[in-house]
Amino acid sequence: MITQTAPPTPPAAVVPVRPSGKRRRRRPDLFRTLSRVLIMLIVIVQVYPLAWLFLTSLRTEQDFATGDPFALPSSLTWENYARAFETGDLGRNILNSFIVTMGANILIVLLGMMAAYAIQVLGFRLSKLVRGLFLIGIIVPVQIALVPLFIDYAAVNLLDTYLSMIIPLAGFSLPMAIYLFCSFYEYIPKETYEAASLDGAGPYRIFGLITMPLSLNTVVTVVLVNSIFIWNDFIFANTFVLSEDLKTIPLGLQNYIGAMGKVDWTATFAAVCVTITPLLLVFLVLNKAMIQGLESGATKG
Amino acid sequence: MQSNRMLPNRSRTSVLVFLLPPLLLYGAAVLFPILQSLFLSFFSWNGISDMEFVGVDNYVRMFVADDIFWRAFLNALVYLAICLVLQLGGALVVASLLTSLRRGRELIKTLYLLPAVISTVAIAFLFVRIYSLEPVGLLNQLFHWMGLGSLERPWLSDVNTVLAAVSAPEGWRFTGLYMLIIYAALLAVPKELEEAAVLDGASRWTLFTKIRFPYIRPVWITTTIMATTYGLRGFDIPYLMTNGGPGQSSELLTTYMYKTAFTSTDFGYASTISVFIVVECLVAVGLILFLLKRKADA
Repeated sequence: MITQTAPPTPPAAVVPVRPSGKRRRRRPDLFRTLSRVLIMLIVIVQVYPLAWLFLTSLRTEQDFATGDPFALPSSLTWENYARAFETGDLGRNILNSFIVTMGANILIVLLGMMAAYAIQVLGFRLSKLVRGLFLIGIIVPVQIALVPLFIDYAAVNLLDTYLSMIIPLAGFSLPMAIYLFCSFYEYIPKETYEAASLDGAGPYRIFGLITMPLSLNTVVTVVLVNSIFIWNDFIFANTFVLSEDLKTIPLGLQNYIGAMGKVDWTATFAAVCVTITPLLLVFLVLNKAMIQGLESGATKG
Repeated sequence: MQSNRMLPNRSRTSVLVFLLPPLLLYGAAVLFPILQSLFLSFFSWNGISDMEFVGVDNYVRMFVADDIFWRAFLNALVYLAICLVLQLGGALVVASLLTSLRRGRELIKTLYLLPAVISTVAIAFLFVRIYSLEPVGLLNQLFHWMGLGSLERPWLSDVNTVLAAVSAPEGWRFTGLYMLIIYAALLAVPKELEEAAVLDGASRWTLFTKIRFPYIRPVWITTTIMATTYGLRGFDIPYLMTNGGPGQSSELLTTYMYKTAFTSTDFGYASTISVFIVVECLVAVGLILFLLKRKADA
Protein backbone atom coordinates (compact mmCIF):
# COMPACT_ATOMS: atom_id res chain seq x y z
CA MET A 1 0.00 0.00 0.00
CA ILE A 2 2.98 2.21 0.64
CA THR A 3 3.57 2.08 -3.09
CA GLN A 4 0.43 4.09 -3.75
CA THR A 5 1.55 6.92 -1.51
CA ALA A 6 4.26 7.51 -4.06
CA PRO A 7 5.83 10.93 -3.30
CA PRO A 8 9.43 9.80 -2.89
CA THR A 9 9.61 7.79 -6.14
CA PRO A 10 12.61 8.53 -8.33
CA PRO A 11 11.55 11.48 -10.54
CA ALA A 12 13.32 10.38 -13.74
CA ALA A 13 11.33 7.21 -14.08
CA VAL A 14 8.02 8.80 -13.15
CA VAL A 15 7.96 11.93 -15.29
CA PRO A 16 6.73 10.35 -18.52
CA VAL A 17 4.04 8.35 -16.76
CA ARG A 18 2.74 11.12 -14.58
CA PRO A 19 -0.60 11.83 -16.31
CA SER A 20 -1.74 8.24 -16.11
CA GLY A 21 -0.33 8.11 -12.61
CA LYS A 22 -2.63 10.91 -11.61
CA ARG A 23 -5.66 9.22 -13.05
CA ARG A 24 -4.81 5.99 -11.33
CA ARG A 25 -4.63 7.72 -8.02
CA ARG A 26 -8.37 8.03 -7.74
CA ARG A 27 -9.04 4.35 -7.27
CA PRO A 28 -6.57 3.84 -4.44
CA ASP A 29 -8.16 6.83 -2.74
CA LEU A 30 -11.47 5.03 -2.70
CA PHE A 31 -9.71 2.03 -1.30
CA ARG A 32 -8.04 4.12 1.33
CA THR A 33 -11.25 5.82 2.37
CA LEU A 34 -12.92 2.46 2.64
CA SER A 35 -10.18 1.02 4.77
CA ARG A 36 -10.17 4.14 6.90
CA VAL A 37 -13.90 3.77 7.56
CA LEU A 38 -13.47 0.10 8.31
CA ILE A 39 -10.64 0.76 10.75
CA MET A 40 -12.71 3.45 12.48
CA LEU A 41 -15.60 1.02 12.85
CA ILE A 42 -13.38 -1.66 14.31
CA VAL A 43 -11.73 0.78 16.68
CA ILE A 44 -15.14 1.91 17.87
CA VAL A 45 -16.18 -1.66 18.58
CA GLN A 46 -12.92 -2.13 20.40
CA VAL A 47 -12.99 1.01 22.50
CA TYR A 48 -16.66 1.88 22.95
CA PRO A 49 -17.30 -0.72 25.65
CA LEU A 50 -14.55 0.85 27.73
CA ALA A 51 -15.89 4.35 27.25
CA TRP A 52 -19.33 3.05 28.17
CA LEU A 53 -17.87 1.48 31.31
CA PHE A 54 -16.52 4.85 32.37
CA LEU A 55 -19.72 6.72 31.56
CA THR A 56 -21.80 4.19 33.45
CA SER A 57 -19.65 4.67 36.52
CA LEU A 58 -20.80 8.30 36.54
CA ARG A 59 -24.50 7.59 36.07
CA THR A 60 -27.07 7.65 38.80
CA GLU A 61 -28.47 4.24 39.66
CA GLN A 62 -31.92 5.14 38.48
CA ASP A 63 -30.65 6.41 35.17
CA PHE A 64 -28.78 3.15 34.69
CA ALA A 65 -31.71 0.91 35.53
CA THR A 66 -34.25 2.57 33.27
CA GLY A 67 -32.45 4.50 30.58
CA ASP A 68 -31.30 3.68 27.10
CA PRO A 69 -27.77 2.26 27.54
CA PHE A 70 -26.36 4.30 24.67
CA ALA A 71 -27.71 7.60 25.92
CA LEU A 72 -25.44 10.05 27.67
CA PRO A 73 -26.02 10.14 31.41
CA SER A 74 -28.78 12.59 32.40
CA SER A 75 -26.66 13.79 35.28
CA LEU A 76 -23.16 13.03 36.45
CA THR A 77 -22.43 11.82 39.94
CA TRP A 78 -19.36 10.75 41.90
CA GLU A 79 -21.53 8.97 44.41
CA ASN A 80 -20.80 5.60 42.82
CA TYR A 81 -17.14 6.04 43.59
CA ALA A 82 -17.91 6.78 47.22
CA ARG A 83 -20.02 3.63 47.42
CA ALA A 84 -17.30 1.64 45.65
CA PHE A 85 -14.78 2.59 48.30
CA GLU A 86 -17.25 1.79 51.07
CA THR A 87 -18.11 -1.68 49.76
CA GLY A 88 -14.62 -2.96 49.15
CA ASP A 89 -11.10 -2.36 50.30
CA LEU A 90 -9.80 -1.08 47.00
CA GLY A 91 -6.63 0.45 48.41
CA ARG A 92 -5.71 -2.84 50.03
CA ASN A 93 -6.42 -4.74 46.78
CA ILE A 94 -4.25 -2.41 44.76
CA LEU A 95 -1.42 -2.71 47.28
CA ASN A 96 -1.64 -6.51 47.19
CA SER A 97 -1.60 -6.58 43.41
CA PHE A 98 1.41 -4.32 43.54
CA ILE A 99 3.27 -6.60 45.97
CA VAL A 100 2.55 -9.70 43.92
CA THR A 101 3.50 -8.03 40.64
CA MET A 102 6.74 -6.68 42.09
CA GLY A 103 7.67 -9.95 43.75
CA ALA A 104 7.03 -12.02 40.66
CA ASN A 105 8.85 -9.55 38.41
CA ILE A 106 11.94 -9.52 40.59
CA LEU A 107 12.09 -13.32 40.46
CA ILE A 108 11.45 -13.43 36.73
CA VAL A 109 14.09 -10.85 35.85
CA LEU A 110 16.80 -12.12 38.17
CA LEU A 111 16.30 -15.84 37.53
CA GLY A 112 15.67 -15.25 33.83
CA MET A 113 18.97 -13.43 33.45
CA MET A 114 20.79 -16.12 35.40
CA ALA A 115 19.40 -18.97 33.34
CA ALA A 116 20.05 -17.17 30.07
CA TYR A 117 23.60 -16.42 31.21
CA ALA A 118 24.21 -20.07 32.01
CA ILE A 119 22.67 -21.27 28.74
CA GLN A 120 23.93 -18.66 26.34
CA VAL A 121 27.15 -17.31 27.79
CA LEU A 122 28.66 -20.00 30.02
CA GLY A 123 27.36 -22.90 27.95
CA PHE A 124 27.27 -26.53 28.99
CA ARG A 125 26.68 -29.88 27.42
CA LEU A 126 22.98 -30.33 28.15
CA SER A 127 21.97 -26.76 27.32
CA LYS A 128 19.73 -27.95 24.46
CA LEU A 129 17.83 -30.19 26.84
CA VAL A 130 17.39 -27.37 29.35
CA ARG A 131 16.07 -25.08 26.64
CA GLY A 132 13.59 -27.78 25.69
CA LEU A 133 12.45 -28.13 29.30
CA PHE A 134 11.74 -24.43 29.45
CA LEU A 135 9.82 -24.58 26.18
CA ILE A 136 7.28 -26.87 27.85
CA GLY A 137 6.30 -24.03 30.16
CA ILE A 138 5.30 -21.85 27.24
CA ILE A 139 2.98 -24.44 25.71
CA VAL A 140 1.41 -26.01 28.77
CA PRO A 141 -1.68 -24.31 30.24
CA VAL A 142 -1.36 -22.91 33.73
CA GLN A 143 -4.37 -24.86 34.99
CA ILE A 144 -2.31 -28.05 35.14
CA ALA A 145 -0.50 -26.69 38.19
CA LEU A 146 -3.59 -25.83 40.24
CA VAL A 147 -4.37 -29.17 41.88
CA PRO A 148 -0.75 -30.22 42.56
CA LEU A 149 0.22 -26.80 43.92
CA PHE A 150 -2.88 -26.68 46.09
CA ILE A 151 -1.90 -30.02 47.63
CA ASP A 152 1.76 -29.05 48.00
CA TYR A 153 0.96 -25.67 49.51
CA ALA A 154 -1.33 -27.31 52.03
CA ALA A 155 1.52 -29.65 53.00
CA VAL A 156 4.04 -26.86 53.60
CA ASN A 157 1.60 -24.25 54.89
CA LEU A 158 1.92 -21.88 51.97
CA LEU A 159 -1.78 -21.59 51.20
CA ASP A 160 -3.13 -18.09 51.57
CA THR A 161 0.20 -16.24 51.29
CA TYR A 162 1.70 -13.83 48.79
CA LEU A 163 4.22 -16.50 47.87
CA SER A 164 1.48 -18.91 46.83
CA MET A 165 0.60 -16.50 44.02
CA ILE A 166 4.12 -15.33 43.23
CA ILE A 167 5.68 -18.79 42.74
CA PRO A 168 3.45 -20.07 39.92
CA LEU A 169 3.12 -16.65 38.28
CA ALA A 170 6.90 -16.32 38.15
CA GLY A 171 7.43 -19.94 37.20
CA PHE A 172 5.11 -19.83 34.21
CA SER A 173 6.50 -16.50 32.97
CA LEU A 174 10.12 -17.55 33.35
CA PRO A 175 10.49 -19.41 30.01
CA MET A 176 9.50 -16.41 27.88
CA ALA A 177 11.89 -14.20 29.86
CA ILE A 178 14.72 -16.67 29.40
CA TYR A 179 14.16 -16.74 25.65
CA LEU A 180 14.16 -12.97 25.44
CA PHE A 181 17.37 -12.69 27.48
CA CYS A 182 18.99 -15.51 25.50
CA SER A 183 18.26 -13.91 22.17
CA PHE A 184 19.71 -10.66 23.48
CA TYR A 185 22.87 -12.27 24.93
CA GLU A 186 23.53 -13.83 21.56
CA TYR A 187 24.39 -10.37 20.29
CA ILE A 188 26.89 -9.42 22.98
CA PRO A 189 30.21 -9.90 21.17
CA LYS A 190 32.55 -12.59 22.41
CA GLU A 191 35.40 -10.08 22.56
CA THR A 192 33.73 -8.18 25.39
CA TYR A 193 33.90 -11.26 27.55
CA GLU A 194 37.41 -12.21 26.46
CA ALA A 195 38.74 -8.80 27.37
CA ALA A 196 37.16 -9.00 30.79
CA SER A 197 38.51 -12.51 31.29
CA LEU A 198 42.02 -11.36 30.50
CA ASP A 199 41.64 -8.71 33.16
CA GLY A 200 41.06 -11.53 35.57
CA ALA A 201 37.28 -11.24 36.00
CA GLY A 202 35.51 -14.52 36.75
CA PRO A 203 32.01 -15.52 35.61
CA TYR A 204 30.33 -13.89 38.63
CA ARG A 205 31.99 -10.51 38.18
CA ILE A 206 31.36 -10.57 34.46
CA PHE A 207 27.68 -11.28 35.10
CA GLY A 208 27.42 -8.46 37.61
CA LEU A 209 29.53 -5.89 35.81
CA ILE A 210 28.89 -6.58 32.12
CA THR A 211 25.91 -8.78 31.36
CA MET A 212 23.45 -7.38 33.89
CA PRO A 213 23.95 -3.68 33.12
CA LEU A 214 23.77 -4.36 29.39
CA SER A 215 20.43 -6.16 29.79
CA LEU A 216 18.53 -3.09 30.94
CA ASN A 217 16.43 -2.70 27.79
CA THR A 218 15.43 -6.33 27.78
CA VAL A 219 14.56 -6.04 31.47
CA VAL A 220 12.11 -3.25 30.68
CA THR A 221 10.50 -5.36 27.98
CA VAL A 222 10.21 -8.41 30.21
CA VAL A 223 8.77 -6.45 33.14
CA LEU A 224 6.20 -4.59 31.04
CA VAL A 225 4.91 -7.64 29.23
CA ASN A 226 4.73 -9.80 32.33
CA SER A 227 3.15 -7.12 34.46
CA ILE A 228 0.02 -7.07 32.31
CA PHE A 229 -0.56 -10.75 32.92
CA ILE A 230 0.49 -10.84 36.56
CA TRP A 231 -1.42 -7.72 37.61
CA ASN A 232 -4.57 -9.23 36.15
CA ASP A 233 -4.08 -12.80 37.31
CA PHE A 234 -7.31 -14.30 38.51
CA ILE A 235 -6.93 -18.05 38.55
CA PHE A 236 -4.01 -18.48 40.97
CA ALA A 237 -5.28 -15.85 43.35
CA ASN A 238 -8.76 -17.33 43.26
CA THR A 239 -7.46 -20.82 44.01
CA PHE A 240 -4.85 -20.15 46.68
CA VAL A 241 -6.02 -17.05 48.53
CA LEU A 242 -8.92 -16.94 50.94
CA SER A 243 -8.39 -14.12 53.42
CA GLU A 244 -9.62 -10.60 52.62
CA ASP A 245 -6.25 -9.12 53.57
CA LEU A 246 -4.44 -10.80 50.72
CA LYS A 247 -6.97 -10.34 47.95
CA THR A 248 -5.63 -8.80 44.77
CA ILE A 249 -7.64 -6.56 42.47
CA PRO A 250 -9.39 -9.28 40.45
CA LEU A 251 -10.61 -10.97 43.62
CA GLY A 252 -11.52 -7.68 45.25
CA LEU A 253 -13.79 -6.86 42.34
CA GLN A 254 -15.72 -10.04 42.92
CA ASN A 255 -16.80 -8.74 46.32
CA TYR A 256 -19.14 -6.41 44.50
CA ILE A 257 -21.41 -9.30 43.69
CA GLY A 258 -23.65 -9.13 46.72
CA ALA A 259 -25.86 -11.73 48.31
CA MET A 260 -28.20 -13.57 45.90
CA GLY A 261 -26.00 -12.45 43.01
CA LYS A 262 -27.47 -8.97 43.20
CA VAL A 263 -24.99 -6.44 41.94
CA ASP A 264 -24.74 -2.73 42.56
CA TRP A 265 -23.71 -2.10 38.96
CA THR A 266 -22.86 1.56 38.98
CA ALA A 267 -20.66 1.16 42.07
CA THR A 268 -19.09 -1.94 40.55
CA PHE A 269 -18.24 -0.06 37.39
CA ALA A 270 -16.77 2.72 39.49
CA ALA A 271 -14.62 0.14 41.26
CA VAL A 272 -13.57 -1.33 37.93
CA CYS A 273 -12.55 2.12 36.76
CA VAL A 274 -10.48 2.69 39.89
CA THR A 275 -8.71 -0.64 39.62
CA ILE A 276 -7.84 -0.45 35.95
CA THR A 277 -6.42 3.06 36.32
CA PRO A 278 -2.91 2.22 37.63
CA LEU A 279 -2.07 -0.22 34.86
CA LEU A 280 -3.81 1.93 32.28
CA LEU A 281 -1.68 4.92 33.24
CA VAL A 282 1.50 2.89 33.04
CA PHE A 283 0.34 1.55 29.71
CA LEU A 284 -0.47 4.93 28.25
CA VAL A 285 2.80 6.44 29.43
CA LEU A 286 4.98 3.54 28.38
CA ASN A 287 2.91 2.19 25.52
CA LYS A 288 5.71 2.59 23.00
CA ALA A 289 8.07 0.46 25.03
CA MET A 290 5.30 -2.00 25.81
CA ILE A 291 4.24 -2.33 22.19
CA GLN A 292 7.84 -2.87 21.16
CA GLY A 293 8.20 -5.48 23.84
CA LEU A 294 5.13 -7.38 22.75
CA GLU A 295 6.24 -7.28 19.13
CA SER A 296 9.76 -8.47 19.78
CA GLY A 297 8.54 -11.05 22.27
CA ALA A 298 6.53 -12.84 19.63
CA THR A 299 8.79 -12.44 16.63
CA LYS A 300 11.73 -13.79 18.56
CA GLY A 301 9.91 -16.35 20.69
CA MET B 1 21.67 -21.28 19.06
CA GLN B 2 25.31 -20.74 18.09
CA SER B 3 28.42 -22.00 19.83
CA ASN B 4 27.96 -22.22 23.54
CA ARG B 5 30.88 -21.19 25.69
CA MET B 6 31.55 -17.53 25.26
CA LEU B 7 33.68 -17.48 28.37
CA PRO B 8 37.05 -19.19 28.06
CA ASN B 9 37.51 -20.13 31.70
CA ARG B 10 34.45 -20.92 33.71
CA SER B 11 34.08 -23.65 36.28
CA ARG B 12 31.40 -26.26 36.39
CA THR B 13 30.26 -24.83 39.73
CA SER B 14 29.62 -21.44 38.19
CA VAL B 15 27.24 -23.01 35.67
CA LEU B 16 25.38 -24.68 38.50
CA VAL B 17 25.27 -21.50 40.56
CA PHE B 18 23.53 -19.70 37.71
CA LEU B 19 21.36 -22.55 36.51
CA LEU B 20 20.08 -24.13 39.70
CA PRO B 21 17.99 -21.28 41.16
CA PRO B 22 15.90 -20.76 38.01
CA LEU B 23 15.53 -24.50 37.50
CA LEU B 24 14.42 -24.86 41.09
CA LEU B 25 11.63 -22.29 40.76
CA TYR B 26 10.60 -23.62 37.38
CA GLY B 27 10.70 -27.19 38.61
CA ALA B 28 8.60 -26.39 41.67
CA ALA B 29 6.02 -24.32 39.80
CA VAL B 30 5.79 -26.07 36.43
CA LEU B 31 7.65 -29.33 35.91
CA PHE B 32 6.96 -31.06 39.19
CA PRO B 33 3.23 -30.23 39.13
CA ILE B 34 2.97 -31.76 35.65
CA LEU B 35 4.51 -35.01 36.91
CA GLN B 36 2.37 -34.85 40.01
CA SER B 37 -0.78 -34.52 37.91
CA LEU B 38 0.26 -37.53 35.87
CA PHE B 39 0.77 -39.47 39.11
CA LEU B 40 -2.48 -38.32 40.70
CA SER B 41 -4.45 -39.22 37.58
CA PHE B 42 -4.09 -42.89 38.52
CA PHE B 43 -5.57 -42.41 41.98
CA SER B 44 -8.88 -41.70 43.55
CA TRP B 45 -8.51 -39.06 46.23
CA ASN B 46 -10.68 -36.42 47.84
CA GLY B 47 -7.85 -34.71 49.70
CA ILE B 48 -8.80 -36.08 53.11
CA SER B 49 -9.11 -39.86 53.11
CA ASP B 50 -6.31 -42.18 51.99
CA MET B 51 -5.32 -42.16 48.35
CA GLU B 52 -6.47 -45.22 46.50
CA PHE B 53 -4.71 -46.54 43.42
CA VAL B 54 -7.28 -47.16 40.69
CA GLY B 55 -5.09 -47.79 37.66
CA VAL B 56 -6.58 -46.45 34.45
CA ASP B 57 -10.12 -46.28 35.86
CA ASN B 58 -10.12 -42.48 35.72
CA TYR B 59 -9.17 -42.54 32.06
CA VAL B 60 -11.82 -45.14 31.26
CA ARG B 61 -14.39 -43.05 33.09
CA MET B 62 -13.33 -39.94 31.20
CA PHE B 63 -13.37 -41.42 27.72
CA VAL B 64 -16.25 -43.87 28.03
CA ALA B 65 -18.62 -42.89 30.78
CA ASP B 66 -18.47 -39.12 31.15
CA ASP B 67 -20.83 -37.23 28.85
CA ILE B 68 -19.99 -33.92 30.48
CA PHE B 69 -16.35 -34.41 29.57
CA TRP B 70 -17.17 -34.81 25.90
CA ARG B 71 -19.57 -31.90 25.99
CA ALA B 72 -16.87 -29.74 27.56
CA PHE B 73 -14.34 -30.91 25.01
CA LEU B 74 -16.58 -29.98 22.08
CA ASN B 75 -17.41 -26.65 23.71
CA ALA B 76 -13.71 -25.96 24.15
CA LEU B 77 -13.17 -26.57 20.44
CA VAL B 78 -15.97 -24.16 19.51
CA TYR B 79 -14.57 -21.62 21.98
CA LEU B 80 -11.14 -22.03 20.39
CA ALA B 81 -12.54 -21.64 16.87
CA ILE B 82 -14.36 -18.42 17.75
CA CYS B 83 -11.28 -17.00 19.48
CA LEU B 84 -9.03 -17.88 16.55
CA VAL B 85 -11.32 -16.33 13.95
CA LEU B 86 -11.71 -13.12 15.96
CA GLN B 87 -8.09 -12.85 17.02
CA LEU B 88 -6.13 -14.03 14.01
CA GLY B 89 -8.63 -13.05 11.32
CA GLY B 90 -9.34 -9.71 12.93
CA ALA B 91 -5.65 -9.12 13.55
CA LEU B 92 -4.69 -9.85 9.96
CA VAL B 93 -7.41 -7.61 8.50
CA VAL B 94 -6.69 -4.68 10.79
CA ALA B 95 -2.92 -5.00 10.44
CA SER B 96 -3.23 -4.98 6.64
CA LEU B 97 -5.56 -2.00 6.70
CA LEU B 98 -3.29 -0.19 9.10
CA THR B 99 -0.33 -0.35 6.72
CA SER B 100 -2.40 1.64 4.20
CA LEU B 101 -3.02 4.47 6.65
CA ARG B 102 -0.74 7.45 6.59
CA ARG B 103 -1.51 9.04 9.93
CA GLY B 104 -2.72 7.90 13.30
CA ARG B 105 -1.18 4.45 13.24
CA GLU B 106 0.33 4.79 16.70
CA LEU B 107 -2.93 6.01 18.18
CA ILE B 108 -4.88 3.14 16.68
CA LYS B 109 -2.33 0.61 17.89
CA THR B 110 -2.66 1.97 21.41
CA LEU B 111 -6.46 2.07 21.38
CA TYR B 112 -6.62 -1.37 19.92
CA LEU B 113 -4.40 -2.87 22.59
CA LEU B 114 -6.35 -1.24 25.41
CA PRO B 115 -8.63 -4.20 26.24
CA ALA B 116 -5.59 -6.47 26.71
CA VAL B 117 -4.58 -4.40 29.72
CA ILE B 118 -7.85 -4.88 31.58
CA SER B 119 -8.44 -7.72 34.02
CA THR B 120 -10.72 -10.56 33.06
CA VAL B 121 -12.96 -9.90 36.05
CA ALA B 122 -13.60 -6.38 34.83
CA ILE B 123 -14.23 -7.68 31.32
CA ALA B 124 -16.65 -10.28 32.62
CA PHE B 125 -18.61 -7.61 34.50
CA LEU B 126 -18.64 -5.42 31.43
CA PHE B 127 -19.93 -8.09 29.09
CA VAL B 128 -22.58 -9.33 31.49
CA ARG B 129 -24.08 -5.86 31.11
CA ILE B 130 -23.55 -5.69 27.38
CA TYR B 131 -25.46 -8.95 26.89
CA SER B 132 -28.22 -8.31 29.38
CA LEU B 133 -31.86 -7.98 28.43
CA GLU B 134 -33.30 -6.51 31.61
CA PRO B 135 -32.29 -3.68 31.81
CA VAL B 136 -31.54 -3.64 28.14
CA GLY B 137 -27.81 -3.89 27.36
CA LEU B 138 -25.81 -2.50 24.47
CA LEU B 139 -26.15 -5.50 22.20
CA ASN B 140 -29.90 -5.91 22.48
CA GLN B 141 -30.43 -2.17 22.11
CA LEU B 142 -28.35 -2.25 18.95
CA PHE B 143 -30.44 -5.05 17.48
CA HIS B 144 -33.58 -3.22 18.47
CA TRP B 145 -32.51 -0.13 16.54
CA MET B 146 -31.53 -2.18 13.53
CA GLY B 147 -35.04 -3.61 13.47
CA LEU B 148 -33.78 -7.06 14.34
CA GLY B 149 -36.02 -7.37 17.37
CA SER B 150 -36.22 -11.12 16.92
CA LEU B 151 -32.53 -11.36 17.81
CA GLU B 152 -33.00 -9.69 21.17
CA ARG B 153 -32.51 -12.21 23.92
CA PRO B 154 -30.74 -12.78 27.24
CA TRP B 155 -27.56 -13.98 25.54
CA LEU B 156 -26.08 -15.59 28.61
CA SER B 157 -29.09 -17.62 29.66
CA ASP B 158 -30.03 -18.84 26.21
CA VAL B 159 -28.43 -22.28 25.76
CA ASN B 160 -28.02 -21.67 22.02
CA THR B 161 -26.06 -18.46 22.31
CA VAL B 162 -24.23 -18.70 25.60
CA LEU B 163 -21.12 -20.45 24.26
CA ALA B 164 -20.58 -17.86 21.53
CA ALA B 165 -21.35 -15.11 24.04
CA VAL B 166 -18.62 -16.20 26.46
CA SER B 167 -16.09 -16.79 23.66
CA ALA B 168 -16.41 -13.39 22.02
CA PRO B 169 -14.97 -11.34 24.91
CA GLU B 170 -11.83 -13.47 24.96
CA GLY B 171 -11.43 -12.91 21.22
CA TRP B 172 -12.15 -9.21 21.58
CA ARG B 173 -9.63 -8.81 24.37
CA PHE B 174 -6.55 -10.09 22.56
CA THR B 175 -7.15 -9.06 18.94
CA GLY B 176 -4.99 -6.00 19.52
CA LEU B 177 -2.08 -8.05 20.77
CA TYR B 178 -1.96 -10.28 17.70
CA MET B 179 -2.62 -7.34 15.43
CA LEU B 180 0.53 -5.65 16.76
CA ILE B 181 2.66 -8.67 16.11
CA ILE B 182 1.35 -9.20 12.58
CA TYR B 183 1.59 -5.49 11.84
CA ALA B 184 5.24 -5.46 12.87
CA ALA B 185 5.86 -8.42 10.59
CA LEU B 186 4.06 -6.74 7.66
CA LEU B 187 6.21 -3.65 8.04
CA ALA B 188 9.28 -5.83 7.66
CA VAL B 189 8.24 -7.05 4.21
CA PRO B 190 10.85 -5.54 1.86
CA LYS B 191 9.41 -2.63 -0.08
CA GLU B 192 11.36 -3.58 -3.22
CA LEU B 193 9.49 -6.86 -3.42
CA GLU B 194 6.12 -5.13 -3.20
CA GLU B 195 7.06 -2.42 -5.63
CA ALA B 196 8.34 -4.94 -8.16
CA ALA B 197 5.09 -6.85 -7.90
CA VAL B 198 3.02 -3.69 -8.37
CA LEU B 199 5.04 -2.78 -11.45
CA ASP B 200 4.26 -6.22 -12.80
CA GLY B 201 0.60 -5.33 -12.40
CA ALA B 202 -0.18 -7.47 -9.39
CA SER B 203 -3.54 -6.76 -7.78
CA ARG B 204 -3.83 -6.09 -4.08
CA TRP B 205 -5.02 -9.61 -3.55
CA THR B 206 -2.11 -11.27 -5.35
CA LEU B 207 0.24 -8.87 -3.64
CA PHE B 208 -1.11 -10.13 -0.35
CA THR B 209 -1.25 -13.85 -1.10
CA LYS B 210 1.94 -14.13 -3.13
CA ILE B 211 4.28 -11.65 -1.44
CA ARG B 212 3.16 -10.44 1.92
CA PHE B 213 1.67 -13.54 3.46
CA PRO B 214 4.50 -15.92 2.50
CA TYR B 215 6.90 -13.40 3.92
CA ILE B 216 5.20 -13.21 7.31
CA ARG B 217 4.50 -16.95 7.50
CA PRO B 218 7.04 -17.64 10.30
CA VAL B 219 5.44 -14.96 12.45
CA TRP B 220 1.99 -16.21 11.46
CA ILE B 221 2.92 -19.69 12.73
CA THR B 222 4.12 -18.24 16.05
CA THR B 223 0.95 -16.18 16.43
CA THR B 224 -1.25 -19.14 15.59
CA ILE B 225 0.50 -21.23 18.21
CA MET B 226 0.18 -18.45 20.78
CA ALA B 227 -3.50 -17.90 20.06
CA THR B 228 -4.25 -21.61 20.08
CA THR B 229 -2.50 -22.38 23.34
CA TYR B 230 -4.12 -19.34 24.91
CA GLY B 231 -7.51 -20.34 23.55
CA LEU B 232 -7.18 -23.84 24.94
CA ARG B 233 -6.37 -22.51 28.39
CA GLY B 234 -9.26 -20.04 28.36
CA PHE B 235 -10.94 -20.11 31.74
CA ASP B 236 -11.52 -16.80 33.50
CA ILE B 237 -14.25 -15.31 31.37
CA PRO B 238 -16.55 -18.35 31.03
CA TYR B 239 -15.98 -19.22 34.68
CA LEU B 240 -16.85 -15.72 35.84
CA MET B 241 -19.72 -15.01 33.48
CA THR B 242 -21.68 -18.26 33.55
CA ASN B 243 -19.64 -20.78 35.56
CA GLY B 244 -20.24 -23.20 32.70
CA GLY B 245 -24.00 -22.82 32.70
CA PRO B 246 -26.83 -22.85 32.00
CA GLY B 247 -26.54 -26.60 32.43
CA GLN B 248 -23.31 -27.52 30.72
CA SER B 249 -23.80 -25.33 27.68
CA SER B 250 -20.74 -23.14 28.23
CA GLU B 251 -18.62 -25.65 30.15
CA LEU B 252 -15.03 -25.84 28.92
CA LEU B 253 -12.52 -28.53 29.85
CA THR B 254 -10.74 -26.04 32.07
CA THR B 255 -13.84 -24.98 34.00
CA TYR B 256 -14.94 -28.61 34.30
CA MET B 257 -11.52 -29.56 35.64
CA TYR B 258 -11.61 -26.67 38.11
CA LYS B 259 -15.03 -27.61 39.43
CA THR B 260 -14.12 -31.29 39.65
CA ALA B 261 -11.10 -30.35 41.72
CA PHE B 262 -12.35 -27.57 43.95
CA THR B 263 -16.11 -28.06 44.13
CA SER B 264 -16.38 -31.87 44.06
CA THR B 265 -12.84 -32.25 45.56
CA ASP B 266 -12.17 -35.17 43.25
CA PHE B 267 -8.44 -34.49 42.89
CA GLY B 268 -7.67 -37.74 41.09
CA TYR B 269 -10.21 -37.31 38.34
CA ALA B 270 -9.44 -33.59 38.01
CA SER B 271 -5.79 -34.50 37.41
CA THR B 272 -6.87 -36.92 34.71
CA ILE B 273 -8.64 -34.07 32.93
CA SER B 274 -5.55 -31.85 33.42
CA VAL B 275 -3.37 -34.46 31.78
CA PHE B 276 -5.79 -34.55 28.87
CA ILE B 277 -5.59 -30.75 28.54
CA VAL B 278 -1.79 -30.88 28.42
CA VAL B 279 -1.83 -33.61 25.77
CA GLU B 280 -4.42 -31.63 23.83
CA CYS B 281 -2.14 -28.56 23.83
CA LEU B 282 0.89 -30.53 22.72
CA VAL B 283 -1.10 -32.20 19.94
CA ALA B 284 -2.48 -28.83 18.82
CA VAL B 285 0.99 -27.28 18.61
CA GLY B 286 2.33 -30.31 16.76
CA LEU B 287 -0.58 -30.17 14.34
CA ILE B 288 -0.09 -26.46 13.61
CA LEU B 289 3.62 -26.94 12.96
CA PHE B 290 2.91 -29.96 10.76
CA LEU B 291 0.20 -28.27 8.70
CA LEU B 292 1.71 -24.82 8.30
CA LYS B 293 5.30 -25.95 7.76
CA ARG B 294 4.25 -28.53 5.19
CA LYS B 295 2.27 -25.95 3.26
CA ALA B 296 5.32 -23.72 3.27
CA ASP B 297 7.42 -26.45 1.71
CA ALA B 298 4.85 -27.34 -0.93
